[in-house]
Amino acid sequence: MATRSIWRGVALAVAAIGLALAVSSIRTTGESSTRDARVADGHPNLNGIWQASNTANWDLLPHAVHPAVSQPGVYANHPVLAAPVVALGAVGLVPPGPGVVEGDEIPYTPDAAARKKENGERWLDRDPEVRCYMPGIPRAMYMPYPFQITQSANKIQMVFAYANASRTIFLEEAPLPPADKWMGHSVGHWEGNTLVVHVTNFNDRTWLSRAGDFHSDALDVVERLTPVTPDALRYEVTLTDPNVYTRPWKMSMVLYRQLEENATLMDFRCLEFVEETFLGHLRKNQLVKHWEGDTIVLDVTRRVPEGDKKYER
Amino acid sequence: MKSAPRFLPIAILVGAVTIVVSAQTSKAPRTSWGAPDLQGIWNTNTFLPLERAAKFGTRPTMTEEEHAQELAGLQERNKRPGRDSRDVAGKPGVGTEKDVARAYNEFWFGDKPTKLSYSTSMVIDPADGRIPAFTPDAAQRIAAKKEFLAALLQGTSGGRPGSISPRRGDPSPDYNLDRINRADGPEDRGGPERCFGNGVPVVMGTGTFGGVMQLVQSTDSVSLYYDIGQGSGFAYVIPITKRPHLPKNIQLYRGDAIGHWEGDTFVADVTNFSDETDFHGARENLHLVMRFKRVDAHTLSVQFTVDDPTTWTKSWTAVQELERADEKTTLVLEPGCHEGNYGLMGMLINTRAAEKAFREGTGPNPATQDNATGGGDN
Repeated sequence: MATRSIWRGVALAVAAIGLALAVSSIRTTGESSTRDARVADGHPNLNGIWQASNTANWDLLPHAVHPAVSQPGVYANHPVLAAPVVALGAVGLVPPGPGVVEGDEIPYTPDAAARKKENGERWLDRDPEVRCYMPGIPRAMYMPYPFQITQSANKIQMVFAYANASRTIFLEEAPLPPADKWMGHSVGHWEGNTLVVHVTNFNDRTWLSRAGDFHSDALDVVERLTPVTPDALRYEVTLTDPNVYTRPWKMSMVLYRQLEENATLMDFRCLEFVEETFLGHLRKNQLVKHWEGDTIVLDVTRRVPEGDKKYER
Repeated sequence: MKSAPRFLPIAILVGAVTIVVSAQTSKAPRTSWGAPDLQGIWNTNTFLPLERAAKFGTRPTMTEEEHAQELAGLQERNKRPGRDSRDVAGKPGVGTEKDVARAYNEFWFGDKPTKLSYSTSMVIDPADGRIPAFTPDAAQRIAAKKEFLAALLQGTSGGRPGSISPRRGDPSPDYNLDRINRADGPEDRGGPERCFGNGVPVVMGTGTFGGVMQLVQSTDSVSLYYDIGQGSGFAYVIPITKRPHLPKNIQLYRGDAIGHWEGDTFVADVTNFSDETDFHGARENLHLVMRFKRVDAHTLSVQFTVDDPTTWTKSWTAVQELERADEKTTLVLEPGCHEGNYGLMGMLINTRAAEKAFREGTGPNPATQDNATGGGDN
C-alpha cells in the first residue's frame, strides 16, 4: 500500500506538471500540429482524428503478454495458445500493458467480480465487440482504432471507425433519449481547457474490455478531456455504478492525434463478417465444414512451412 | 429509463459565442468562425417526387392551379387504407403469403406528408426531370438480376407460373441486396435485412419514417448523422482536406468523401464506392458530388450529382430542400439495427425448419412458397 500511495503521489505530480504544460503549451500553435491550438470560440481545438495507443481494450489492468484464447500448457501458470487462435502464432497474443486504472483495482462487488471472471473465461461467447456491436462509452474511446472529432460551439460529434459507432456531446440542453442507448447520452461543458462530459442513459449490454469488465444500466460516466500538447489529450474517466462497483473508480490515459497527411477515418465495417461466426450454422450449405449443431468445431489445419522442416531432423 | 444520478449541471455553455438568428429574419446564419452555418437537425414533410411526372414535361415548377389539384390528390392518397388492408390480386389480402411478407402494417408507417412542393421533381437535370436511360450494359445487368429474382419466385403465389426453377441453386448475378425468394444463407437476404444501413446519397422521405439528419461542422470537417430507415442510421464524416482520393481498388460502403468550400457552398466529392451499394442501379463506379447550402434560417439545400458512365448514358442532378427541425423536441436516435437483428437469424432458422418439415413429409416444399414479394410497393 505504501508503494501504491507513493506512486499515486508521483502520478499526481506528473498530472500537475502535465496540466501546467497543457496550459502553457496550448497557448501557441504546436510545432508538430497542423492545426491551430484553439478554435474561434477560444476552446482547445479537438478537431481531427484521434486514437489511444495502449492496450486498455484488451485489459484495463496491468497484464503481461498471454494467449487471447488459451489451453493448459505443461506448466499450470503458463497456458499456451488454443484454437481458434493457435494458427495465428504471435498474432493470437494479447499485447502487454501497464494498465489504465487508478490504484490498479476495479472495485467490483463480490457477485460482479465472479461475473467478470466468468466473462473473461467466456470472452468469445460474450464480448459484444466480437459481435460487431456498438462499443459504448468509454470503450469506444480506447479501442485500438481511430475516431474523428468535429467540434462546434454547441455540439461535439465523435465518429468511431469501429462499427460506424458515433456519439453527440451536447453542450446545450438536449432532449433525453426515450430509451437506454448503447453509446449513452452525453452532455458536456468546458471547464477552462478541459471538456467535461457526463454520460448517462446506458443500456447494460456494452463492456469495458475484452477481459470481461462490464457495467449495468445504472452506469454513470464522467469524462475529462484535457490537452497535454496540441496533439495529445489526457483522457480521464470516472465510472459510478452501484449495481456493479462498490465505489466510483477512475481510469486515465492519453489519446493521440493522427498527424499523417493522409489520415482518414475509414469505416471498420464488421457486421457482414460476423455473419459467418454467428449465423454460419444456419446456412443450407455450410461453408465451415465442422459445425456440430450450433457449435463450430475448430479443427485447425496448418502445414508447417517447408523452410521450417529442415530443422526437424 | 433508469434514474441515474445527475450530479453535473446540464448544458452549461461557457464562453461559447454563437450567432443568434432572430426569428424575424430569414437570413442564412454563419458560424462563430465565419463559415455558412449548415448545422441543425434537418428533415422534410413536404412531398416532392424524385422523378417528374410526364405531364409536367420540362417545367420545373407547377402552377397554383396544378398545385391545388396535386395537393388534393395527395390528401386523397393519404386517406387510403394501409398496407395491411390492401388487396392482393383483387381479393382481400389478409392471411395471404403476400400479406405475411409485407411484415409491417400501417401502424409502423406513422404520419404522412401534409405539404406539397411547387417543384415538380427533385431531379433538375436533365430538363425532363427524369433519371437518364441506362447504358446497354447496365440495362442488361439489371435485366439479368430481375430474371434471377423472377426465377426464384417461379411457381409461387407471388411469381410467374411454372415449375420450380433449376436456377434456385445459382449464385446471384450481382452482390445481392434485394429481397429474394431464398434464404440459403445471410447473403440471400436483402441489405436492409442484414442491417447494411442506408447508402449515400440519402434522399430523405416525408412523414414519420422520412428520417432526420443532424449536421455538426467545424473548420476541419462536416459530420452528418442520418437517423433513417428503422434503425439503419449511420454517421458520415466529410473531412475538409486536400488529400487525394484513396487508391481505386479500395471499396467503401459509403465511398471516400472529401469536402471543400466553394463560396458559401460546401461540396463533397465522393468516389471509391463498393459493389455492395446500389443507388438506382449504380454500384462501385458511382461518382457522387454533394452540395450543401444554407438557403435561409430554416432551409438547407442538398444537391447531388451522380455520374457513372457504366450505368447511365449521362450524369444527372437532383436537389432536395430540407427543413430545420426543432432541436428541443426532435429526437435523433442511435441505429441499433445490427444489435437487435433477430430477424435475419429467424429467416434462416425458419427456412431450415421448413426444409426439414418438407423432408419429413410434414410441410410444403419451401421453394413453392413466396417469402419475397410484399416489400415496397409490390
